[in-house]
Amino acid sequence: MDKRVVIDRDLADLIPGFIEKRQQDIAAIMAAAAASDYETIQSIGHNLKGIGGGYGFDRITRLGAAIEQAGKLQEADKVRELVQAMKTYIETVEISYE
Amino acid sequence: MAILIVDDSADGRTLIKRLLEKHGFHDILTAESATDAFDMLGLDRQEGFTENIDLIIMDGIMPGIDGIKASTLIKAHAHFADVPIIVITATDEAELLDKAFSAGAMDFIIKPIKQLELKARVNSALNMKHAIDQRKAREAELIKVLEELENVNRELNRLSSLDGLTGIANRRHFDQIYEIEWRKAVRTGRELAILFLDIDFFKYYNDTYGHLEGDECLKKVAAAAGSVLKRPGDLLARYGGEEFVVILPETEIMGAAKVAEDIRAAVENCNIPHSASSITDHVTVSVGVAARKLSLTGKPQELVALADKALYEAKNSGRNQVKAAGALL
Repeated sequence: MDKRVVIDRDLADLIPGFIEKRQQDIAAIMAAAAASDYETIQSIGHNLKGIGGGYGFDRITRLGAAIEQAGKLQEADKVRELVQAMKTYIETVEISYE
Repeated sequence: MAILIVDDSADGRTLIKRLLEKHGFHDILTAESATDAFDMLGLDRQEGFTENIDLIIMDGIMPGIDGIKASTLIKAHAHFADVPIIVITATDEAELLDKAFSAGAMDFIIKPIKQLELKARVNSALNMKHAIDQRKAREAELIKVLEELENVNRELNRLSSLDGLTGIANRRHFDQIYEIEWRKAVRTGRELAILFLDIDFFKYYNDTYGHLEGDECLKKVAAAAGSVLKRPGDLLARYGGEEFVVILPETEIMGAAKVAEDIRAAVENCNIPHSASSITDHVTVSVGVAARKLSLTGKPQELVALADKALYEAKNSGRNQVKAAGALL
């Protein structure tokens, strides 16, 4: 699902940095989940929700929204599940530029 | 056309900046917090605000001071009253949008940002700002022109009330002020005094020294007489030819006679040579004084006529002297 994304050519040089930051987000959410720091989880989820689609990654926006929501409800297992989905997505997404 | 982006998310700032640049907007500033933005705008700076910010794109939800509060604080400054703010929100919750508009935002964009929407909304905000700026510039220009016109009118008015040669009030201005002072004296019941002064043997002076010297003499006499008058409201005017008139509001005959004598002495002390004078070798003046309490049953010309008559008596009694109407001096 959403494995292939088409990104604006004018954003191409920003994408590697963008992906790298998402990997940092994933690590940060994992750490926060382990520490039951739901505030941090919500905050990162909120940011992901806001920026994902803007860069062309609608799935990141959806996952971010779900992570924010799970953080709000303090559902640690759900957070881990969503982060795993995000990790898989980031590692396997096929990007083309137009 | 500078645009300020305020967003706590680095990815958010970078994206908006890049998209705006792609669509031809340049001169883009970014701030990562409300306080950072205040600093850039110069909100707390003594030396004043940052000029030329044409649009602020503000993230609605930020840690610390959020975008709604920040918009309120920025809009509180008159300098930024016309700078449009577009609030970016992650939701279209009515409550948040309502707050954003109340805070002074003119528009909103819902995340994730869509390029064409961003471009369209930014363009419309900048067009509005541009229109406001143009209107303000026209208004400022209009105000400037009106002020100039007012200044010119004031100057014209001033010039039209002055005697071109001596620089003191002219007959026209005297007539206006006398009318006002006469009515005021009737109303207050206070006395109004009039002095008439005339340069002695001025025709001979002109015949002897020429009209140019005659003009100089008139200027000196006007200046000497003017130097005696100290109170605001006292008026010296050129009545015509070598004749001058003084209005002294709220002045009784003795006070008026004192002013008249001071003027006579001041002119004499100028020591302007007058070889053709039959009474002495320098320029002198004769002064007639009248002062009365006035009533509406009387006529304004009566007081002037009394002073004129007193002047006539001063001339007949040998000139270079003061005569008061109906009083012993």
